[in-house]
Amino acid sequence: MKTHVDRRQFLALSALLLSPAARVLAVGDAAATPLLLTAASTRADEHFLVGFRHDGAAFHPVFKLPLPERGHHVAVQAERGFFVSIARRPGTTLVLAELATGKLIREIRAPADRHFYGHGVFSADGEWFYTTENAFEDSSDASGRLVAWRVSGAGSDATLERVHDWPSYGVGPHELLLMPEGNTLAIANGGIRTHPSHDRDILNLDTMQPSLTYIDRRDGKLLEQQGLPAEFHQCSIRHLDVSANGTVVLGMQFEGEAFMTVPLVATHKRGENLQLLLAPPELQPQLNQYVGAIRFAADGRHFAATCPRGNQFTVWDSETGTLVHALRARDNCGVIASDKGFVYSTGMGTVAELDLQSGSISEFDGAEQLDLLWDNHLCSGVPA
Amino acid sequence: MRMIIDSRLPSMTRSRLIPTLCLLTGCLVASPLLQAQNTDWTPLNLAMTDAVVIPAYERFAAATAPLARNAAGFCAAIDADSLAALQQDFSAAYDGWQGVQHIQFGPITWFNWNFRLQFWPDDKGTGARQLDALLATADPAVLVPEAFAQQSVGVQGFPALERLLFSDDSLVALQNEPYRCQTVQAISRNLDDIASGVAQRWRDEFRTTVANADERGFFESAEDATIDYLKAVVESVRRIQQQKVQPVLGDNQAAARERRAEAWRMDRSVQHMRTNVAALAALFNDSAPALSSVLQPADLPNIQQAFATLQQHLADAPDSMNTAITTAEGYAAFKQVDADLDALFELLEAGVKGTDLYLGFNSLDGD
Repeated sequence: MKTHVDRRQFLALSALLLSPAARVLAVGDAAATPLLLTAASTRADEHFLVGFRHDGAAFHPVFKLPLPERGHHVAVQAERGFFVSIARRPGTTLVLAELATGKLIREIRAPADRHFYGHGVFSADGEWFYTTENAFEDSSDASGRLVAWRVSGAGSDATLERVHDWPSYGVGPHELLLMPEGNTLAIANGGIRTHPSHDRDILNLDTMQPSLTYIDRRDGKLLEQQGLPAEFHQCSIRHLDVSANGTVVLGMQFEGEAFMTVPLVATHKRGENLQLLLAPPELQPQLNQYVGAIRFAADGRHFAATCPRGNQFTVWDSETGTLVHALRARDNCGVIASDKGFVYSTGMGTVAELDLQSGSISEFDGAEQLDLLWDNHLCSGVPA
Repeated sequence: MRMIIDSRLPSMTRSRLIPTLCLLTGCLVASPLLQAQNTDWTPLNLAMTDAVVIPAYERFAAATAPLARNAAGFCAAIDADSLAALQQDFSAAYDGWQGVQHIQFGPITWFNWNFRLQFWPDDKGTGARQLDALLATADPAVLVPEAFAQQSVGVQGFPALERLLFSDDSLVALQNEPYRCQTVQAISRNLDDIASGVAQRWRDEFRTTVANADERGFFESAEDATIDYLKAVVESVRRIQQQKVQPVLGDNQAAARERRAEAWRMDRSVQHMRTNVAALAALFNDSAPALSSVLQPADLPNIQQAFATLQQHLADAPDSMNTAITTAEGYAAFKQVDADLDALFELLEAGVKGTDLYLGFNSLDGD
């Protein structure tokens, strides 16, 4: 089932477009946008889950929930009025809190031989919640796990019960998302083996086998798996997003030599080969072999890949496979679609919106003054 | 949908957009701490560029020129004297690189120039393998500058040339293998092309980029540019410690390995570190205004003392790291350097924490 692509299947990069910027004066909408959620830390190493709104110009904090360890992604169950903040690797805590207020509901710990990878997702009906986990005492290829939790209760009564424990069909599973048809999970198996006793060290650099894996969420069965060509086996597939028409985009982090030219972004449609994408040759080396997060725009065609190590925010066209926009944004990482384009956050404390139409960037007033370092990822607090 | 390319790269068209919302809302308001320090970032960035960075790159280019020139005539008559002379030219050029090695932003990151100059550390012996493969082809076409620039980074830079000039059998091998000597010429010319290219790009292009950093060009702001200079100092202290000292020392003297040193074949690893630290101190201090002015004045005496202590201990340390680590006294001297680097890093890091400048979060520890 594993298929490979070769260099010839890199999509050709078309000529890059350029159009002059319209200097339109914009003002923030009076009505604030929907709730956004993100993990954050302070320089004193305190960790929070922050809920906020913005009006296109200003940042409006809604709540700031202390976390027991560094957070990462947040999964939202709007109908039941709560969210789950999933601890970042090698954290072991799920923090359940009320969506409107950020009030803590409960903390749920991983079993003693497990840790989370910072990602989780609900089923569309809200009955199930799925996490990727590391069975770190298992040195076999079955160490990557997909765990299904039954959801019960709502609001301050919401809780999760661990029910199914399936292989993720790879090592080091990271982000997972639900495909539009509702029964398939797309999982980024990063391929990296770590053990909490060795900090975050990579224990299998020479044998990494990352994959994009599709699993039936109802029975844990493997449906399809896509690997990378041997020369790119050190490209850890970490993050993904899926459009309404089922196109999956992948963000990767290359663990090999810094000088090599390797794809950090790919697209996939079920049953087809991966399409590995490269930025133009002037830009590709500037990305420093690292994509932090990847999210589709509202049009379901363009997508953003954040590159915190290269301090570049990149926008791509999933249909043509080309990079269409890049801008400098130091330490940018979290990203989410907005009406105008994308909202992104940085470890420097800024939250900003890129207007894809004009190319202008507006940094939200009031975000930086909170003295928070915005962690990966930016998550929506409303139903998808 | 109209899209705009704003890539801030040398050969691509840029659009410079003033974030319109910021004009209305004043979102670029500096934080209270920065206002208190009243730092004017662009004059500082330009002072460092003009007084320290560009002169260092020009010294580097000036040092590679004789290497390329003398290598060009070297292969006609190779003897011990001419090899020794070329080794001297090589040492001077490598020293020039050590004086700018810490600057990991700007033109050095274009065209893979940094890795082409020095692919190191090379834990897997990639450079040796690639160089052997190149020599085995004996293909003169590969050595033409345009073609050579496209070869593996492992054959293009200082480590490859050090191997060719400083191996035990270098003299005989160079005398007997014309292609090996032609490769010496090709690498020497390549080093000079890159060194002069970086210097020229800093002078003619990137200085302007730095001068206009507050217009949202390559940089987000002038402060964004200052952070790159600051990172060059702070992170390089850690890099010297973690790449040039600790791997050589190992966990104890029995585990010390000279071949993990940066320039063990020519045994100039210590001179390199002296040059590195002097360059860091220069970037920190030798402009008006100086980078040190972004830190709180109260933090500076300890940092300056730590720089001085490190430099003194490096000056006092044996010149040969290869032999020093075989003696208890020599090993201890470099353990001291290790500790000094650690102390300096900690003080710099604490100093940065006393400002509103932040060197990175997701970029340093992402997932």
